[in-house]
Amino acid sequence: MLKKLSYAVGALALLFGLWGVYIRLFEGEQSANYGSYIGWGLWVAMYLFLAGLAAGAYMLAAFDYLFNVPQFKGTGKTMLWAALVTLPAGLASIGMDLGHMERIWKVYLQPNFTSFLTWMVWGYTIFLILIAVSLYFAFTAPEKKAMKAVMWIGFVVSILVAGGVGFLLGGNAARLYWHVGLLPVQFPVFAIASGAGLMLLIVGWFMPNMDEKQRGDLLWLLAIISIATSVAKLYFLVADYTQSLYGGVTDNLIAVNYVLNGPYAFMFWGVQIVIGLLIPVIVLAQPKLAKNGTIAGLMGVFLLIGYAAARILIVVPGQVAEMMPGQAEAFYGPKLTLDYTPSLMEWSVTSAVMGFALLGILIGMDYLLAYFSRLTARSTEVKK
Amino acid sequence: MSNELLGKYASEVFAGLVAPLEGVEVSAIPADDPLAKEDVLVRMNRELQRALEKPASERRWVMVIDLRRCIGCHACTIACVAENKLPPGVVYRPVMTEEVGTYPNVTMKFLPRPCMQCDLPPCTEVCPVTATYKNEEGIVVVDYEQCIGCRACMAACPYGARTFDYGYTYAEQAPTFDGVVIGGETAAGYEHASQEYGEAWKREGHSSESPVGNVRKCHFCLHRVKDGILPACVTTCIGRATYFGDANDPDSLVAELISKPNVVRLKEELGTEPRVYYIV
Repeated sequence: MLKKLSYAVGALALLFGLWGVYIRLFEGEQSANYGSYIGWGLWVAMYLFLAGLAAGAYMLAAFDYLFNVPQFKGTGKTMLWAALVTLPAGLASIGMDLGHMERIWKVYLQPNFTSFLTWMVWGYTIFLILIAVSLYFAFTAPEKKAMKAVMWIGFVVSILVAGGVGFLLGGNAARLYWHVGLLPVQFPVFAIASGAGLMLLIVGWFMPNMDEKQRGDLLWLLAIISIATSVAKLYFLVADYTQSLYGGVTDNLIAVNYVLNGPYAFMFWGVQIVIGLLIPVIVLAQPKLAKNGTIAGLMGVFLLIGYAAARILIVVPGQVAEMMPGQAEAFYGPKLTLDYTPSLMEWSVTSAVMGFALLGILIGMDYLLAYFSRLTARSTEVKK
Repeated sequence: MSNELLGKYASEVFAGLVAPLEGVEVSAIPADDPLAKEDVLVRMNRELQRALEKPASERRWVMVIDLRRCIGCHACTIACVAENKLPPGVVYRPVMTEEVGTYPNVTMKFLPRPCMQCDLPPCTEVCPVTATYKNEEGIVVVDYEQCIGCRACMAACPYGARTFDYGYTYAEQAPTFDGVVIGGETAAGYEHASQEYGEAWKREGHSSESPVGNVRKCHFCLHRVKDGILPACVTTCIGRATYFGDANDPDSLVAELISKPNVVRLKEELGTEPRVYYIV
């Protein structure tokens, strides 16, 4: 039932999203609400979210293939598949944000290696290949050394690319809200946190045939990981914000107040803190509830919504302080504003990306993974 | 009565309108008259010609803005828009206005803000495809055929000196009636005639020959400078508050001005080494 509902939600999201994708591809970026002062908006935030999700999913696959955690046994392929779907979804989100997406090949053939963006494009490309190779080995030679070697490289790369995203923002010395030494350190934690949220959803709702005992144990372990990472995340958040408020540097105050009391206050208090943190932590702290697939899956959804909101609350507030006092009033024109609320077109494109990711995970789990299993089993038999 | 008056003054009134008669002396402008001084534009123009005789790498273009002389007329902003055919939403040199004090002791402060053409620009190193870089003369330029439109440079610039071209045109809503109003099409043609970087840029579509989809910024009117013409914001400044020239020329006006102690640069603590100096 929940799986069918998820298929329906994914299909509807994709359908609604096709409109936005059409507008973006054929009419350009004018109907987006990001502009010249807040140049990075929803799509950049969703890129951070989905790319982090892919890294987190890969890290959790390593719990099966590298660290042999018994509760994770048999889940590696699914998590690798989830990573293989969510990473392109994230890249699609950032691709839509480019003014000239048709020139992306230049990053490969004419790269500037002093740019961290170049490192990220190359890093994510390598990561995507590593995910695909890991998945291939997961079917053909899960116990061989090659699989372990690839998984180790992939595991390290997943931490690096997740941290790299933090640097992409944190490296901007002009943006005090981002320019925090710990930002690149926080992102791998965010990645594994969101990976655990996704896995709660997948195991809770989409893996009904799993052994009940293992499922309960796995959900409980994921609940502990989720609680631990949520607490760590909250600690980072409190540290960042109190330091900013206590320090009292104008740009930082503007950004933090924008989140705590400004236009994004509901997204922070309501979505990130209550839905994305408090409710899941309280519910998942109770073993009985955490081991219930339906509830655990729902908490996974809550956690994911919270993490997505957290990404928006990192990207947007970092740009709301004027670079020069009086900048916003100095010259009038379209997109010369410090106000930003994503437009319907932007939400639509994000809806397409999320719909693609959800359907991709579901179709992969229900059909592709089983198909590949049969295929590899057959080829093994033929060899024998 | 009126004939007498005309008779008395007419010769003096009209004297200036006719050619001087033989033997009549025409007095020169007194030396202490402000008009006798050379306009700084003339001096800067002469220094510009001198600088252009040097190899490009030996020039160090800087801009100096005397905030005491800026009256906040925004003529520089508009001259820049007109010169570079900037579309709606793109601005290279806004003038920030700040009200200082409380009534009745209130005054206005104006801060024109072109690109700082930093010697250590944070915007160029973040570009993944080297679409923005410092050219031989030290000016931070944008290659419109290379930019992928990621806006990383916009996020990195501490001065907010970059804006993104989302493809708007002033003429898109203008009506056209054959033989009555030339509006839309003519205006569109005007907007499509940008000569930035010495090339003719179009705005039709999203082609590689168009700046649409790119980040854009002030380039000290390089296309004018290479032809020996001062940047548009400099020539248009009615208060003569903006100066431009080669700081490597010790006899230049800008070199003279930036050697004074009352000169500051914006956000120096970030280590960007701006090439725009403000006299305060």
